[in-house]
Order: sequence, then structure tokens, then C-alpha cells
Amino acid sequence: MRLDSSRSLLLRLLMLAVLVLVPPMAIASLRALDRFEEGLSPEMDRKAAAIGRDLLAQVDRAVSYGIPIDKLVGVDEFFTTLLNGNPEIRYLGLTTASGDILFLSGALSDQLAGQYRALHLTEADMTGRKTDIGAFVDLALPVRGRDGLVGQVHVGFDRGYIAAQLFGIFYDIAVVLGTSLIIAFEILLFVVVFNISGPMKLVAEVVHQARRGDFTRVPGITSADEVGHFVRAFNGAVRQVDNAYRGLMAYIDEVRTGHFDRNVAEKVGEVADRVRFLFRFNPSGAPQVLREKLSSDVRLPLFLFVFAEEISRSFLPLYAQALPAQVAGLSPELMTALPIAVFMAGIALGSLWAGAVTERLGSRKVFQFGLFPAVLGCVMSGLSHGVIELSLWRGIAGLGYALVTVACQSYISKTTSDSNRATGLGGYVGAVLTAAICGTAAGGVLADRIGYAPSFFVSTALILVSGWLLSQLLSMAEIPQSVVMAEERHGTHLLRIFSNWRFSILVLFAAIPAKMALTGYFFFLVPLSLWDSGHSLPEIARVMVLYPVVMLAVSSLSTRLADQMGWRIGQVALGGLVGGAGILAALAFDGTLPLVIGIVGLGISHGMSASPQLASIPDICWIECQRHGRTQVLALLRTLERVGSFVGPLLAAVFLQMWGGRGAIIGLGAVVLVMAMVFAMVAGAYGNGPHLETEEDAP
Amino acid sequence: MIGRLFFGVVTAVLLMSGPVAAEPAAKPYRIYMALWRGWEDAAQGFKDYFTNQNIPVELIIRDAGQDRSKLPEFVAEAKQLGVDLVFTWGTTVTVDMLGTYDTVDPAKHITDIPAVFAIVSQPVGAKVVPNLASSGRNIAGTSYLVPMDTQINLLQSYRSVRKLGMVYNPLEKNSLVAADELRDLGKRDGYDLVVAPVEVVDGKPVVESIASKVRDLKAAGVDFLYIPPDTFLNINRDVLTSAALAEKIPSFAAAENPVLSSKAMLGGVYRYYTVGQLTAYKAEQILVHKIAPADLPVDPPKRLSIIINMPVVRALEVYPPMSLLSLAEVVDSGVEVRP
Repeated sequence: MRLDSSRSLLLRLLMLAVLVLVPPMAIASLRALDRFEEGLSPEMDRKAAAIGRDLLAQVDRAVSYGIPIDKLVGVDEFFTTLLNGNPEIRYLGLTTASGDILFLSGALSDQLAGQYRALHLTEADMTGRKTDIGAFVDLALPVRGRDGLVGQVHVGFDRGYIAAQLFGIFYDIAVVLGTSLIIAFEILLFVVVFNISGPMKLVAEVVHQARRGDFTRVPGITSADEVGHFVRAFNGAVRQVDNAYRGLMAYIDEVRTGHFDRNVAEKVGEVADRVRFLFRFNPSGAPQVLREKLSSDVRLPLFLFVFAEEISRSFLPLYAQALPAQVAGLSPELMTALPIAVFMAGIALGSLWAGAVTERLGSRKVFQFGLFPAVLGCVMSGLSHGVIELSLWRGIAGLGYALVTVACQSYISKTTSDSNRATGLGGYVGAVLTAAICGTAAGGVLADRIGYAPSFFVSTALILVSGWLLSQLLSMAEIPQSVVMAEERHGTHLLRIFSNWRFSILVLFAAIPAKMALTGYFFFLVPLSLWDSGHSLPEIARVMVLYPVVMLAVSSLSTRLADQMGWRIGQVALGGLVGGAGILAALAFDGTLPLVIGIVGLGISHGMSASPQLASIPDICWIECQRHGRTQVLALLRTLERVGSFVGPLLAAVFLQMWGGRGAIIGLGAVVLVMAMVFAMVAGAYGNGPHLETEEDAP
Repeated sequence: MIGRLFFGVVTAVLLMSGPVAAEPAAKPYRIYMALWRGWEDAAQGFKDYFTNQNIPVELIIRDAGQDRSKLPEFVAEAKQLGVDLVFTWGTTVTVDMLGTYDTVDPAKHITDIPAVFAIVSQPVGAKVVPNLASSGRNIAGTSYLVPMDTQINLLQSYRSVRKLGMVYNPLEKNSLVAADELRDLGKRDGYDLVVAPVEVVDGKPVVESIASKVRDLKAAGVDFLYIPPDTFLNINRDVLTSAALAEKIPSFAAAENPVLSSKAMLGGVYRYYTVGQLTAYKAEQILVHKIAPADLPVDPPKRLSIIINMPVVRALEVYPPMSLLSLAEVVDSGVEVRP
């Protein structure tokens, strides 16, 4: 996140915001958690006692009918039903009077057998006896038969259950807190940059020019606040100087034309020349009003837009799974993957088109135009009745997503010069990644609390807010239409880029597998696998948020590394290998761990290779960049890699159908790793520096 | 004439006076109850419903004592008394007094007075109604037999059966129908049905042959005995269930008597009392809410009674699963039985 010269002010403001917001929220949350814990512990005891009594009554009844306690039938099924209905109960057991285990569900006998034998429960323990056994709290109740004590009923709950519940709530609170802080920060950043630091930068620029005697321009700030007053006062001063200059020049002219003394006329002319040499004034007769748009203006709306789109990240395949599959022809796995694939296809098509349209219509129109499909796609996704319908609306939402993001990118590149474009685009990536973190984490919590469909409506509301903000911003001053690039586009010529083997290999074995891993593994298989292994929506989001977090951390580091070492292709190759190997952790471990490794690996992989991949293009395709323009080549790369985005979930779905969840992860990981290995092997031959050979002498 | 029609049901007078005395203000509905074998649980459930709902009724109770020849007299009396509703108990009383839907004769049957029937095992098979959705005429009623797949699911949930045995009276059509249904369900649930019809001599089933038939089933490797709702077996239930116990075969009864008052181990039934209450509910719809009888479906009670005969369970040591036991009504006289 680069914040230009206002960095220190913003950091201080952020710290202030943290100081003001965090302590009260933390205190309130901690108090709530304390109350919760206080309430939960006795509640657990009561629950265990109630279930114990209920179970005891059933066993007592059976025993009273003369069924020997060790001959009871269907006890395990009976226990399972009870355990399923009461997730906080860890295990249920039934022992003989002496504590030998007869039936036990939910725990291993070895853990408990010794403790039970040592318990020596008597008939007098009417309300049961509570003991701590390792991580469990055990409640034992006596079973009384016709001839005294015949057995014991045991109800166990996990001491960790309360802690796990508390952690879940704590995490939810932390997500809400973190998200609101980031949003507060984004708003703060926006307000400061838009109202204070942006105008001040403009004033500073004008002052700087004035110091060198250049009075041709005044900052065009019209706000009604103190900054506006200041700028108007400042402008008044500049205009006064301008008027004085013009008065002086008029007087000199008058003297020169009216005075007959040649000497005097010359002297005056010298003064005029000297003034003209030292100071510059606008030849049009008044200082030009300077309005500069800042690339950071779009940061908040962009953040909100991406945030809205990311909300469904953790649950989209689950939502698709829950909807009825309308068409019989496709397998359920493919149906589940379809909304993601179509969304990606929508983005691919949208960005192809948006690139061309933005050149003609300008960012504002494209942005406004893109808002329609974005809002429509989002609200209708929430109202869908089937997977096909959902896929259609996701596709339309993808179209909107592409139009809006391309419009933002083009706005940024138009409001920045060559010198600060990197900073501007860095701000773009920063906003997108922060929004991905917030959106993914908040989306899981949101869907868990209010459901899938209403979460889409929240997204819609955010998109509308973002749209309103952006249209306000962009309508204030349309950027002067940049000179339409005169270069002619020869589609066929651009396509000859494929004979550049370096480019083709990069697309096929680095860019496409990276996207396949992202959409097929991370967007599709990860939420499904986590859901199938019984994780809740906030838990899924908790795991998935690792990707943008790791990527954000790694990318800033790796960009610096790449610039220092100039080892771009190497980073792309290494990134690919890390990503593929991470996914294949599923071979070595069971459960959630391989997914965590895979996601972190993917974050490292993409953080490491994304910007070096783009940055290496000018070198790899030196000739093509010269011929067609760098933008064109980069746009082609982005379009081609989206083939991977589209294919990823579909391929994963086919694997899922053939080999099940774990098999699909391993299958997809293998595909990604093999492709990355091919790239790594070829990477050595790339060499350094610009490649000047033309397609003709390429091998 | 009326005096002649009183068939010695002592309780009748007492029952009649009760509700009438309790609600002197409201004019009681007059209901003619034609019974087949005395006052039993269905009749009691029927009567109790009106008491519980505070509906004043005057019950005119007649018992045929299993004598079919008395039924035409009942028809004549009900018509003459001009009662508001007729209640018929059992297939014979119902068919003889109300007629079948294709042979109804206003001279011989009750047609103008609405009627409700109970304890008719096959309302469609006996042609009392063309289908269970509607009688299509001035009568309504209840069914009381548990659907066969419900019975088999219950039986299977007690203990998985591989070979199901059935002793039956080949002269009773109900039992033949039951055997066919059991055979079909066996294909679904993976068990074989082994049938053993009792011997018939001179057109009459032989009681003495029951025990030997049970022994045959045991020899065939049967692991559960199904007792159909068969009148002959109901009468001789002690012989049948004792034989099953002697052979250590657990038995399932489709009717309540073999479990409640004999030695069958398990029963899945609608209790007669509940059926009587549901029949009274239909009568209330007709009398109080003025709903046409043809608009009322013929259906069984919602609640299935699972009855477990505990002394038999203990004797056989075939214990019920906990989940089933928690739902069941347990019969436990405390008197131990021996195989």
C-alpha cells in the first residue's frame, strides 16, 4: 500500500482510528465473552445432566422390564441419535456396576476404562458424579435395577467445546472489528486524500512553480471548507500578482509607446524583458485553472466493489450445491462448478470488450455501463431458483466485474504519469487484495448468520454505494479525453506473438496453471472439501482468507526482490512449483492441514509470481511491445490466462466426479505441478534482458 | 316390538342415561350402535369421545352376539326410531345393515340415516366403499388395519428377519391377501416367506393342527412368526402363541388381542379404543358440523401402537432395541411365562 507523501499523516490517523475504535470494541467484546463463558459453563452442566437423566430413564425402564443391562439391544444407534442431536455432548457410555464399559459412543474405551473402574459409583449418587477425565468432563449416573446398582450411565462433554465456541465467536467479532477498521481506514484515506492531501499536493505544486516565477496556473479547488478558503485566498494572491504583472506590462507599453526618449523606452523595455525572463504568466490573460484527478480517488469505490464481489467467495460452490440442478444432462459436480466457470468466462469476455470500449467512451461511461450487469447479476444470484439460472447471473455479474475493474484501471493509468503509474497500480492491487481479505472473511460470517441469498443482497447494496461514490467522483470532472492511440491494430499481427516461444510457454505453463489452481482448487474444491469435512461457513472463510493475506505479504516482498535481483522468470518458475507442491500436500496429510498448506502455498505462489510475470513481458516480448504497444500485449496475456480460470473449476469437477474430493485435489495439484515443472525446466533458457530476435529467427 | 329388540346388554340403559342427564338443556343426538360381539374398546372409545367433547348424545345400544339373523331387525328398529346416526361394528354388521355400494337396497338397508362404521378390516375389499377417499354415499368410517409395509418395517426394526413364517386359515380371504403382500415385501426387504395353512376337515379349520404347523415352520428355519388378522387364529390365539413360544419363535401380531391377551411377543396395531374415538370424530363431523358423510375419507388413526409383551420377551431373551422400546407400550403382567 503506497500512500505517497501523505503516508505519515495517514499512518498517524490510522493509529488514532485504531486507538479510538479498538479499545471500546475490545472491551465490549471481552465483556460479552465473559458473560457468555459464565453462562455457558453451567449451561453445559445442565445440558449434560438433562441428557444423562433422559438416558438413565430409558435404561432404567429397560432394566425394570428385566432386560439384563449387558444384553440391551441397539444401544449404539440410540447413543448416535442422541449425540447427533446434541453436538456439545462428546460421548455417551454405559458400564456395569463395577465400571466395565458395555457400550460407548464418541470416545475410545482406552481413554475412559481405567477412570470408570476407579469411580466406585454408588446408589447414593442420585444426582450423578462429575469428574474430569483428561480433556473431558464426565457425568456418571447410577442405574438401579431390581437388586440394587446394576450399571452406570456416562455423559461426557469436551472441555474444549466451550473454548472452541468462544474462539468461533471471538473470530467473528475480530472479523467484524478488522473489517470495520479497514473500511474506516479506507474511508479515512479517501477523505484525507480527496479533501486535504490531494488539494494540498496541487497547491504545493503551484507554489513550487511560483517560487520559480511561474504564475501561469492556479489550483482549481472549489470546496467550501477551510482547504477551499485557503486555496481561494492563495488564488487571490496569485491573481493579484497576475493583475499586477498585467498592469505593469500595460504601463510599460504605455511608457514605450508614449515616451519619446529612446533611452527611457529602452530602459523600460529592459525591465519588461527582465520581468518576462524571471516570471512566467499565462499568455491567455488569466492564470489557467488546474484540476488534477488523483488515481487514489477510485480506491474506496473500488475497494467496496471488490469487497462486495468477494463476499460470495467462501460459499458460492456450496450455494450452487444447495440449489436444485435444473438440467439432468450434467453431473452434480459439474453443476456445482458451473457458476464459478461462467463467472470467469463473463470476466474474460467482459475485459476483452471493456478494453476496446474504454478507449472510445472513457472510464466514466464504461463504469456506469458496467454497474448495470454487476447489480443485476448480484441481486438475481440471490434470487436464483436453480444452478443454471445462478450460472447465468454469475456470468452477467462477471461481465460487470470486468467492465468496472477495467474502467478503474484505465482511470488510474490516465490520472498517473509514467513516473507514478506504478504507485497508482500498486494502490489498485492493494485495494483489491484488502477487499479480498475483508470480503472473504466477512462473507463467511455473514452467510452463516443471514444465509446465502441475503448475503448477495448485502453485496448488491455495497455495489450500489460504490457505484454512487464513483459516479459522483467521475462526474465532477471528466478527464480530458486522452489522445486516441493512433496505432492501428492488426489482430493477425498480434497473434503472431505465439511464435515467440518464450511468450507461449509463459502463457501455457505459468499463467494458465496459476489461474487453474486459483479457480479450480481455491474457489471450488477448497470450500467444498471444508464443508464436507463438517466445517462451518465462518471456519471456511477463516481458512480461505489466508490466501489474500499471504499473497499481500509476499507480493510486496517479492516485487522488491524482483527489482533488486532481476530474477523475474526464476520467481515465476519457483512460484509455480510452490503452488503445485502445496496443493499436493493432500498426498501426505489428512484433514484440514493439507488445505491450509495448499492455500498458503498458493498465496506464496501467486504473491511471488504475479507481478514478475507481468513485469517480464516487456523483456520477453520486446519486439511485440514495440510493435503493438505494451498494453496490448499485457491485455492479451490476461485474456489468455483466463482460459485457465474458466477451465479450472470444470476440470476440478470432472476429477471430483471420477475420484472424489481428495482425488480431485491431488489430480488438479498434479496437473498444476507438472505444468510448473515444464516451465521451470524451460525457464533456464529464457536468459536475461530484452529479447530482440524477431519471430523469424525464433526456434 | 321394541321390547323384543333389547338383547340383554345391561350397560345400555346406564350408558343412555349418562350423557342425557348431564346436558339436560341441549337436545342430544340419538345414535344407534349396532355391535357384533358385545361392548368392547372401540365402542368405549366411541362413547368416551362424545363425553370428552361435551357433545350430548343418546346411545341406543344393540348387540347381535355374533348372530347374523338379528341384523335385519336392527335395520328396522333404527329406521323406526328415526335416529340421527347409525354406528356399525365389524364387517358383517356393516355389510348387512348398510349394504355394499353396488347392492344397496333401501328396503333392506339403512340409506336415509347417515352411518359410520368401524373395525371393517377391508372396507374396499368388502365393497363397503368403492375407495378410501369417499364412500360416495351416506356413510363414513374408519379403517383399523396397519398397512403391511408399516408392520414389516416395525418387525424388521425389532430384529432383522431372514425367514418369516405364517400360519393361517386357508378359508379366510384376508389371510391370503396378507400372504401375497408379505411375499412382495420380502422381495424388497430380502426375507423369504414360509406359509403353513392349518388343516381343513369338512370345510372347517382344525384347531389341533395349529401346533404342528408351527413346528413345521420351526423346522423350516423360520426366525419370526407373523400372525395375520385372522378370525380363526384370533379365537385360537392362545394355542398359536403358546406353540410359537414353545418353539422359541418370536411372534408378531397384526391385531392387538394376541399381544394384549395372549403370548405374541410384538404387535403393531391401531388400538380399538383409538379407532372408536376416530369414528366418533367422523360422527361429530356429520352431526355437529353438518358435513356430508361422502366428503369424509375412510382413514386409520394417526398413532400406531407398538405393543411389546415383556414376559414373552424375557422368556425368549430376544430383547427390543432401545429406540423401539422408548416408543412402545409394554405389556408386563409380572407373571412369567415359560416356553
